[in-house]
Amino acid sequence: MNTPTDRDLILKARRGESGAYGELVTRHQVAVFNVCYRILHERGEAEDLAQEAFIRAYDRIHTFDVDREFSPWIRRVAANLCLNHLESQKVTTELDDERDADQAQRPESVVETNERNGQIRGALASLPANYRLVIELRHFQEMSYDEIAVQLNIPLSDVKSHLFRARKILAEKLHAPD
Amino acid sequence: MHLTDHLTDVQLNEYLDEAASERAQIEAHLISCGECSARLTDLQALFSELESLPDLALTRSLAAPFTSPRSLPVQLPAWFPLTVTLQAAIALAALVIAAPFAIRLFPLPAAPSLGRVFIQLQTQWTAWLDRLPAASQFKMPILPSLSFELSSLFLMSALVVVSMLWLVGNGLLLRDQIK
Repeated sequence: MNTPTDRDLILKARRGESGAYGELVTRHQVAVFNVCYRILHERGEAEDLAQEAFIRAYDRIHTFDVDREFSPWIRRVAANLCLNHLESQKVTTELDDERDADQAQRPESVVETNERNGQIRGALASLPANYRLVIELRHFQEMSYDEIAVQLNIPLSDVKSHLFRARKILAEKLHAPD
Repeated sequence: MHLTDHLTDVQLNEYLDEAASERAQIEAHLISCGECSARLTDLQALFSELESLPDLALTRSLAAPFTSPRSLPVQLPAWFPLTVTLQAAIALAALVIAAPFAIRLFPLPAAPSLGRVFIQLQTQWTAWLDRLPAASQFKMPILPSLSFELSSLFLMSALVVVSMLWLVGNGLLLRDQIK
């Protein structure tokens, strides 16, 4: 039997078929959670906001254009929620310690990769929230400068300056000699 | 841009983001300049590292609230909210049409002045105290009479104004939580 496409699942969810939307959530939950995590850097909050993103999407499922891809749309919904959350909080949060999990039982190369991933996550977490947002939208959601400016409601010049400064900070942190 | 000048960080960033207007000139410069070429390679490496960052796993399934049909909120069709507005409009129209008939059928009783009600209550209270033997020694202070009438309209207006101020004040205090 063919696996239903996202479009099929959305149409089924609209008809009230139980489980169709649940399957759609299962498919995209990790990607959506990671959008939230890269912006917020707090696991609990990221999971809660990812959940909220799916609830918001469900509320708008009747108006969603099924000819569009679901994945970019739900990731933008999540990024917007995180943006609103950051604006309401105006605080910086500490990075969850995700780096050392299970390292003792893994081969050395895997440990090294995990360590490097931890460094990248740490460097991302150290960025100001507005820099993290532009990095997320440009590198992980592949939005253009213009699209980011519209999404964040900031001038194009700010998009470029935030993005270039963020990359400079990341490069300094990640390529600094130990 | 002169081919001998080094590329700026902005040019390199825009080039990798495919947003540079002078792409051909940048490429020509990169061929001849080892320093700029190395800077571009470093920036590319950063892009690759960011984009190859693996996804973290979830600690709980986000699909759980959506798998049970009972837990799903009822999906109302898009036109449903319009019916609510229509119902409100019909109700308002019915009220306007019925109001003159209702007033004729059920005439409003004359509202007593609140000031008079208070005076009556005070009179009853002092009369009751006078009847008490122990209280006969005690003289109740006589409240100063006001030089103006506190009409029920005035008291009601004051109550409405205070309530509005209270609501606005609470709204301002709680606006962050409401968001």
